[in-house]
Amino acid sequence: MTTLFVRLKLRLILGNLRGDLIKQVGFAFSLLAALAFALGGFVLFSLLRLASPDVALNVGIVVFTLFALGWAVIPLVIFGVDETLDPSRLALFPLTTRQLAVGMSAASATGPWPLASLVILAGGVAALADGVGGVLIGLVAVVLQFALCLVTSRVLTTALSGALRSRRGRDVLAVAAVGVLLLSQLPNLLLNRGLPGDPEALLSSAGAVLRWTPPGLAAHAIADGGLVGVADVVVLAGVVALLAWLWIVALRRALVMPDVSNQGGGSVRRSWIDRFLPQGMLGGVAAKELKYARREPRGRVTWFTAIVVSGIIMFTLSGDNGPVGLFSAAGPACLAALMIGIQACNSFGIDGRSLWMNAVAISSERDLRTDLAGRHLAMAVIAVPLLGVISVVAALLAGNAAWAVPAALTAWGVLGVALGVGAVISVVLPYTLPERLNAFSGAAPGQGPLAFGSAFAGFSATSAAALPIVLPVLLGYGWVGVLAVPYGLAVAWAGRRLAGLVGFARLPSILAAVSRAT
Amino acid sequence: MVEAVRTQGLYKRFGQQVAVGGVDLIVPKGSFAGLVGPNGAGKTTTLSMITGLLLPDGGLIEINGHNVWADPVSVKAHIGVLPEGLRLFERLSGRELLLYSGRLRGIPLEETSRRADELLRVMDLVESQDKLVIDYSTGMRKKIGLASALLHNPGVLFLDEPFEGVDPVSANTLTDVLRRYTESGSTVIFSSHVMDLVERLCDWVSVMSRGHIVAQGPLAEVRGDQTLNEAFLDLVGARGSGDEGLSWLGSSGGPR
Repeated sequence: MTTLFVRLKLRLILGNLRGDLIKQVGFAFSLLAALAFALGGFVLFSLLRLASPDVALNVGIVVFTLFALGWAVIPLVIFGVDETLDPSRLALFPLTTRQLAVGMSAASATGPWPLASLVILAGGVAALADGVGGVLIGLVAVVLQFALCLVTSRVLTTALSGALRSRRGRDVLAVAAVGVLLLSQLPNLLLNRGLPGDPEALLSSAGAVLRWTPPGLAAHAIADGGLVGVADVVVLAGVVALLAWLWIVALRRALVMPDVSNQGGGSVRRSWIDRFLPQGMLGGVAAKELKYARREPRGRVTWFTAIVVSGIIMFTLSGDNGPVGLFSAAGPACLAALMIGIQACNSFGIDGRSLWMNAVAISSERDLRTDLAGRHLAMAVIAVPLLGVISVVAALLAGNAAWAVPAALTAWGVLGVALGVGAVISVVLPYTLPERLNAFSGAAPGQGPLAFGSAFAGFSATSAAALPIVLPVLLGYGWVGVLAVPYGLAVAWAGRRLAGLVGFARLPSILAAVSRAT
Repeated sequence: MVEAVRTQGLYKRFGQQVAVGGVDLIVPKGSFAGLVGPNGAGKTTTLSMITGLLLPDGGLIEINGHNVWADPVSVKAHIGVLPEGLRLFERLSGRELLLYSGRLRGIPLEETSRRADELLRVMDLVESQDKLVIDYSTGMRKKIGLASALLHNPGVLFLDEPFEGVDPVSANTLTDVLRRYTESGSTVIFSSHVMDLVERLCDWVSVMSRGHIVAQGPLAEVRGDQTLNEAFLDLVGARGSGDEGLSWLGSSGGPR
């Protein structure tokens, strides 16, 4: 049964690659990366031997804990890439729960990344073990730690699999992915602001607390190598056994629970904002875009990311050794405008397969321009006040409230430029946004380079086109900001004009490019 | 005979595979036409090209005498489309979807909401009009899709597999609405592989197989004195061979 599951997993990996060169190349890179990570991680980890035993132990404890956390969170965020993760797919086969449990854990240990993490964890033995006892206990501890990682991830995915299959659960999770992104920026921010206390004290206090968590027990067992180590390993084994039992219980429940994904959700309120938007296609598209920014998880995520990244930039730039003067107010505001405006570089992506509805109604270049103008209007409705607030906050942080005026004007100008550039890039380099958003990929399989090209072209073209208005303001000539808004409007208009000219004939290809299967 | 839709030598290739290899489709005005064919015959590709969603590699398409690709302004306002696969704006409610469709076509908001209310009532969707389309069942999606294709009162309606996965009650509603629509002189073209349904509804049939039209004309002419299903199986060359092999299947063997 175990080998059958392992073969199923291998077959799934291979089947996914069949006949798609880009995927095959991607997989080869992924294999190489996993190998590099495994070897590099093992070597780096074992280099800890050179540090003092205390520091080595504390680092080991933190690394083991991070691995367990990673295993718990990452499969949740990318749930759905692996059919062996979803018990409901296997529910109809005549298997006992125990067979399923053993088979599924074997399947989840199969693959380049799980094996790479096993190798890196084994580096812990090289780093921490002392003498024969240490190595022996260490090997057991590493295997148990690996089992802990597997079982933890399985318990969580199984317990939440019902919720993950429902629409609302997936919506929540998609937004949670931004939280992961934010957390990954936390160390960066802390380093930038200066650490509270010295790093070594922080490490030892973290080690002291985490030492009693299951991964901490594993790391401690390796370093101890004596009777205490054996006790650690026994406790750890108990925890793994308990989690495995919990998993089997959760699995049993998941197999007989009804699929909730087809139950209807609640009603939405009728929007009042529609009444204030223009009639016809312009207002229709704008109203739809505004609803999508709110209701579609990908819409919420992009806006949320833009705001969070702007905030991070603002606080980073306003640090003690940051720039001074008008630059520190207008700089963050313009960067925020760029971050927000860059969303316009794949305007049709969020419509995806539904874009046909617009395509059958767009019968001239003028219609396409109107469609794009509706999208720009919706974006401006959200971004203009937002950039105003960011400018005021940045100006206050910079120490002169009056700087908010040139900062806001310039930021609005940059937004206009970004929208104009984005309109052209949207019709030239459209790509599919994956339906199931995850933190690791922003495009459909095989369109990664396209997404990168789109963002790169967007950033460079917008920066270049915005330079004439941004540079003088950043250098302190605030009055130039007065010209920014008309300039931005002109660029946006010209961009829509050019996009209409180029894009109308390309409409079927745009439709095909944003409707790829993900 | 006035033709609502006429294609000549319509051709489309995906890589090495010829999906549509020279289709001459004719649909008379005011007819309820069925486009039938086995899976992979090229029905969806043909309909996508006719409705301006997919660029043909060659051939001519005319709707009411206007070339679809050369003169889209005269064509797009007068056709309604329901493509395959229920691709709708999922995060709009049913009602919002209809309003959106109306606004895209430039119909005044007041008129749009009047038509939307009527369509929702006829389609029996009043209770779920404020639910998101993503939470709709298959039948509800087909109904709201048809409603938004009808909202601007097009002269020709293209439906790709409108009855696939639809429960009998919803199917009945769909056929009632479509019948009323064709009785007024408008044209419906729908693709399907449910022969009984086509036989019951259509007065004109085009049979596709492997990228070509193999038979076309009034229903009575195409089926002759057989049922449409028998005529169809003869035309696409797929009869018999159901009783060879599978000796283990059935109650005489054990489950293993």
